[in-house]
Amino acid sequence: MIPVELTINGKAVKKTVEPRLSLADFLRDHLRLTGTHTGCEHGVCGACTVEVDGQIARSCINLAVACDGAQVRSIEGFDDDPLMEKLRQAFTAEHALQCGYCTPGMLIAARDLIRRKPGADLATIRHAMSGNLCRCTGYVGILRAIQRVIGEPLPAEVAPAPKAVVAVTPSAAVPPAAAPAGRAGWTTLEQRIDLPHAPDKVWALFQDLARVAPCMPGAELVDYAGGDRARGRVTAKFGPISASFEGEASFRADPAQRIGTILGTGRDRRSATRAEGEVRYTLTPLADGKATRVVILLQFGLAGPLAQFGRTSLVQDFVSRLTVQFARNAEAALAGSTAAPKQLDTGSMLWAVVKAWLARLFGRG
Amino acid sequence: MKPAPFDYTRPADLPGALKALGGDGARALAGGQSLGPMLNLRLARPGLLVDLRRVDELRRIEQRGDALVLGAMTTHASIEDGQVPDTTRGMLRRVAADIAYRAVRTRGTMGGSLAHADPAADWVTALTALDATLTIARGGGTSTALMAGFMTGAFATALGDGAMLTAISIPSLSDRARWGYYKICRKPGEFADAIGAVVLDPARDYRRVVMGAVGGAPVVLESLAAKLPFDSTPTLTRAEIEAAAPAMDSVDRQLHVVAVERALAQAYAR
Repeated sequence: MIPVELTINGKAVKKTVEPRLSLADFLRDHLRLTGTHTGCEHGVCGACTVEVDGQIARSCINLAVACDGAQVRSIEGFDDDPLMEKLRQAFTAEHALQCGYCTPGMLIAARDLIRRKPGADLATIRHAMSGNLCRCTGYVGILRAIQRVIGEPLPAEVAPAPKAVVAVTPSAAVPPAAAPAGRAGWTTLEQRIDLPHAPDKVWALFQDLARVAPCMPGAELVDYAGGDRARGRVTAKFGPISASFEGEASFRADPAQRIGTILGTGRDRRSATRAEGEVRYTLTPLADGKATRVVILLQFGLAGPLAQFGRTSLVQDFVSRLTVQFARNAEAALAGSTAAPKQLDTGSMLWAVVKAWLARLFGRG
Repeated sequence: MKPAPFDYTRPADLPGALKALGGDGARALAGGQSLGPMLNLRLARPGLLVDLRRVDELRRIEQRGDALVLGAMTTHASIEDGQVPDTTRGMLRRVAADIAYRAVRTRGTMGGSLAHADPAADWVTALTALDATLTIARGGGTSTALMAGFMTGAFATALGDGAMLTAISIPSLSDRARWGYYKICRKPGEFADAIGAVVLDPARDYRRVVMGAVGGAPVVLESLAAKLPFDSTPTLTRAEIEAAAPAMDSVDRQLHVVAVERALAQAYAR
């Protein structure tokens, strides 16, 4: 618990709060200022917009403790503001609200815009208001209401906005080629690695789950007694995020064609994200059979919180880096090294999922 | 949507911040507009947040010779509002004004964005195009690193544990310099799908074209930049831009090539 002192709507407030408490929850739950609404709670919808030190901010992604010493103004603090009064009237006249959930945020964002850009045209208003979402009235009335007020002279009492005082491309051999379409909604990625060992030797490694799994950064076998099934865990870090996927995989192999398939499902307990996917690897000889090209086709789907960060290109970059490290570890294993395989020395996350697949996948065919 | 518990500290100076950041599970809070959502979704679970807001050194703004030096905690909004001297013929201001939404720009910082290293973020690409140099502090002292090469992948940088990005030095553009910056988003303020950035400055014989929001670090298109004239409009074909781009699928390639094409058109229209 941390003491925090700030001014809210002109009144000094002193409380002791948990560091993780957001400014929005501080206003709503601790001060009963429920005019501030929480919508998405991750900085997307704008419903929780308030003013901090004269500038608008999203109270859901700012910590109360980080606002120590600040002047905070929530929608309740604008009751006597002449510009807000004009906006309220315009919102009424133009039917700019229906359920009213987005309205406190809309009003505070609109008031800030009018002070910063008096006289702005419709395109500018639209652009500036794009960070506040409305899910029922639609935006036409809201924009009209703002237009109505933005063209008028600013009320003299409304101070202008205060001025703050301020004196590689993935290195692997990885060009992702066009891959066949996977299941609806799944992401498909293709990776290639070339290993300086004969296909038979590489195939043998890939069939030896106990040996190949540790080559995958972050992978760990939890339960494997031979056969075509295993339980495993894959931990990954991606920037500030880390995830640990635990799950099951089953393997199929076609030694004649040197094609292996791994099917898996896993769950990250902390984020309650589920992942499901398939990995298919194909070994082909290179350089007269002295080397091997491994083509890995990865298809997966995520459901749950982590999926919200599932931007394909990011996964691709992560998988590329992962693949490079895997290739190095596999190469060392093939060369007979007994040193502990290297982990990925980067940041933390969901791409763990991906990792999970790659990991198991190489397991057995 | 509540973060998992963590400890919080608000150091008053740089040595205090570095000391706190040396702890296990410590994470810098430099505005928190990207970290905040990740905390709420419990994707990020730091043991300790080190809030850099009170470290005055990180807010310093200086003009040093031919460069503008911005403290890492300079907010996007302060650049947007013109509180930072314009030494880039308006480029920094234009880029800043189009980052996410106003309510995010007032809290989010340039240094925070660079250290977070989201490939779709604006500064990693724009400051690569401007050839910025970063000042990095760690226990033993400070060092510098070029922005080009600082980001090593998605959410990955050369910063290292316990180190801190303290300032960004941005070379000033001459009167004859040209620049273009174009980003493609599904909706204003959303993460970019593609970014193109171009900076040309005959006074320094400097040419740079950058393709951003590619998944990893922004890509400097050297062969393409070498073909660019300073005083006449180039006759580049789309195929030439495509040839310079890294491998990506056809949809991504189209978006990125268009972003670079439009950034070039902007630069030469200036």
